[in-house]
Amino acid sequence: MADSPLFAPLTAPVVRPLRWIGLALAALIAAIGAGFGFAQGAPTQYVIFTTAATFTLTLWLWNGFFVRWIAETSLLSRAAAERAGRQISARAALRGFISGNKGVLAGLAILIVGFIILSLTLTGFLTWANLVTALFLAASLVFTTVTSRAFGDNRSAFIGLMVLGTMFIVASLHVQGFFSGANIKSMLVFAAFLGIATVGQTLVALLGGLDLSIPFLIGSSNVGLLYLIGLGIPSPIAVILALVVGTAIGFLNGLLSFPLQGQALIVTLGVGFATSGLTQILTSIGSSFAGNVFGEVPKWLSNFAAMNGVTFGIAIPPVIFVWIAVAIALIFGLKNTVYGRYLYALGGNRTSAQRIRISERRYWYGVFTISGFSSALTGSLLLGSSGGGFIGVGDPYLFTTLAAVVIGGTSLLGGHGGYGFTVIGVLVLQVLTAFLVGIGLKFEWQQFIYGLLILPMVALYARSPHIRTQI
Amino acid sequence: MSSVASTARGTSYNTFLLVPILLFFGLLTIAVVRSPNLMTSSGIGSAEIVVAPLILSTYALMATALAGRATVDLSIGPLIGFINVTLIQIHTAGVISSPIAVFAYALFAGVAYQIVFGLIVLWVRVQPIIVSLSGYLALSGINLVILPRPGGSAPEWMANWGSGTTIFSPSIIMVAIATVGWLIFSTTAFYGHLRLMGSDERAAYTSGVRIGVVRIGAHVVCGLFAGLAALAFTGLISSGDPTQGTTYTLIAVTALVLGGTSLAGGRATVFGSLLGALNLFLIGYVLSTFDFGSVQGFVTDLCYGLILVLSLLLTVALPYLQRWLRHVSPLLVFVVLGLLFIGVALHATFDYATLAPHAGAASAPAPDRASGNQDNAAPPRLPPLDPGAFAPVLEQVQEGPGFARSLLSTRASQLAVLLLAIVITLRLMVWQAGKRRMTPLLYAAIGVGGLLGVWLLMDTGVFVAKLGR
Repeated sequence: MADSPLFAPLTAPVVRPLRWIGLALAALIAAIGAGFGFAQGAPTQYVIFTTAATFTLTLWLWNGFFVRWIAETSLLSRAAAERAGRQISARAALRGFISGNKGVLAGLAILIVGFIILSLTLTGFLTWANLVTALFLAASLVFTTVTSRAFGDNRSAFIGLMVLGTMFIVASLHVQGFFSGANIKSMLVFAAFLGIATVGQTLVALLGGLDLSIPFLIGSSNVGLLYLIGLGIPSPIAVILALVVGTAIGFLNGLLSFPLQGQALIVTLGVGFATSGLTQILTSIGSSFAGNVFGEVPKWLSNFAAMNGVTFGIAIPPVIFVWIAVAIALIFGLKNTVYGRYLYALGGNRTSAQRIRISERRYWYGVFTISGFSSALTGSLLLGSSGGGFIGVGDPYLFTTLAAVVIGGTSLLGGHGGYGFTVIGVLVLQVLTAFLVGIGLKFEWQQFIYGLLILPMVALYARSPHIRTQI
Repeated sequence: MSSVASTARGTSYNTFLLVPILLFFGLLTIAVVRSPNLMTSSGIGSAEIVVAPLILSTYALMATALAGRATVDLSIGPLIGFINVTLIQIHTAGVISSPIAVFAYALFAGVAYQIVFGLIVLWVRVQPIIVSLSGYLALSGINLVILPRPGGSAPEWMANWGSGTTIFSPSIIMVAIATVGWLIFSTTAFYGHLRLMGSDERAAYTSGVRIGVVRIGAHVVCGLFAGLAALAFTGLISSGDPTQGTTYTLIAVTALVLGGTSLAGGRATVFGSLLGALNLFLIGYVLSTFDFGSVQGFVTDLCYGLILVLSLLLTVALPYLQRWLRHVSPLLVFVVLGLLFIGVALHATFDYATLAPHAGAASAPAPDRASGNQDNAAPPRLPPLDPGAFAPVLEQVQEGPGFARSLLSTRASQLAVLLLAIVITLRLMVWQAGKRRMTPLLYAAIGVGGLLGVWLLMDTGVFVAKLGR
């Protein structure tokens, strides 16, 4: 590494102490992790394995990004100063440092002030674990913002992954049994539902639209599927029927909202209301339980999505594999197929895309149709997971699909982002929810913190440029 | 055709208002035919206290939607709930109780929240919809912390706000003040800057508009309306409720769009928003007069969604209909349809007395949606009409002893309405003849024909029998 042409000038005196600091930091973090591991009584081989992994990872990130960034910037600024033939005064350097790192400094200040306020107001808040957590958060904040400057287009993915890792480590420190196979499996199952539901939202957002019919379609397909099965239709055919109807409604969404693109939000909301109303009228004719459908969920469907499902002998429900397959197909497809590239072209600039003869109408219909399909699929899978039809099962997905897309870093204005980002967003949301549930917060506090956290997370990378740079 | 030429030939650029106007009178007519006691003092009174918070929250959304960048404040519902529960808790703690303090607190809370919102949009520069989503979640969570379950009581002077027995309730006065306030606001230079910024922010910036100040100003206006909406909501339920306020988000956004406001910014009218909110209320009201048994709520959802989509599609169809609608003035449509409606309303309210067998079926008490049937449990069959509403028309009618009108006086009132309608329509025709074609005549013909048709049908009882199950 040291003799590659890029790094040749970096063997300057600036770099060597940084390397040693990195080594010490990695050892320190690994030691803290090992200490906690032994204190919590984890099996020895686990502790050794995670300690080694933490050490290597920290060292890699430090050397690969942080050192490189520091060295490059310091060399560049020194070169600039030498070219200008003057010395940079300490004051000007400080001012430059502050204005260049406004975000980090503000974040640190908020973190410190919040920690002090919480320790003063809540008795029993000031514990070692919390102090370590706060220090860890501060370190992670500085590290993430500083290193992320070395990334270009995939910056939001890097930040998302860092946030995910940080939250995962913090949650593992605080919640007993968070870092266990069973918990990770259950988080993945819930993430798979959300992930499949956000397929459509991501594609629609790439074109600059929003689909608010997703929760209603999920609820409708959930209730409708159980109703169809209750009528005596063989369950595979019933599932296919539900998916076909969902796809058709998705197409209808596209058809109706195409001429009204600025208001796709409201059109899809209206279609969603109508669909869920119609489904409930149809399913509750002749029954005295309005809105609830009772029936037996077929075995294969519950095996597909329930926590104790089995895939070809592996004790992991198939829904997780389905999600992984969908994610790989979408990430690959968006990047490497003509369809995917044209989608980005349309989202980026409609007029130019039309000039090279890309049919705006066809793609608009297409993404909404896929959105309808993925919503119906989520509703059917949720039926297998919960074992009973309930129209309100989709309600939480109204805002979480939107939040997952946005946290991942896909622009709601279209043209930038992708399903890979959304996967990160889904996982971040899921880990955050599991953490908040794990530390025993009540639902209303969870929601409050959830709301407060979305803003800084989005602010980390989805900031729009100032108006004066857009002219 | 260039826009200059079409303007010169008198094109109405408020054509998008036609959809809400048509929908409004359609719904209103059905509502009155289905449930004649809507057009009574207590009927109007209880309707307006239910609709007042919705109108005010739609106005609040309108102010920020006008500012562009797709600023749809999803957090408006939780904000109303937040002001409501904090107000109730502060009042219960005995800190504030006088009207001035309560008003000041509500307006201050709304404005303070919206200023924070605006500053985040300005300084952190994230998309406004993210800020509002964040606010939605945070506020609806904290509302449940402040007041875990519905309860508490509003200040004593607010206690009779929710009774809705008179037309001039405090809620409607607030709506009137808000409407007039917006009309005055829309004559200021600031409003011009706001619209410019909403339709093209870059153009506004390059032409020297201080977009930061303008954006914050839009949020301040939004906060004022949100405070008023919270007061109207508190008056409606006379207590605190942490979750019900949240439901205003979706219906207010829907009302905003139904009223023809562009979510992309730059286009909004107070008249459209008012009609949008009234339309949404009327959809619910009309549906509540039908009895669908256990699927009532689902039918409401279905119709709500369908009407939403259809009226939006009509907005799309407008440019294609523009060839014929170019010379149509929304104001004229409003006046003509309004007169038509007054005729129908008079029939529905008074002719049922003469159609005794049908009267019972048709004036079945409409279930009151949100105000909780405190006082509408036994509505009078023919309660006194508030003289303020139809004073010019009803002078002959009021002479009869009590409210037992003879057939003759009813006929006289019908004739008077018809004559008045024709006179006003002719006047409008003459007024508009200079710049437009003779389309008003078409209106007059349709209007008079429709009025006569409804009259005939109602007199023979066909209409009542059909709609009254």
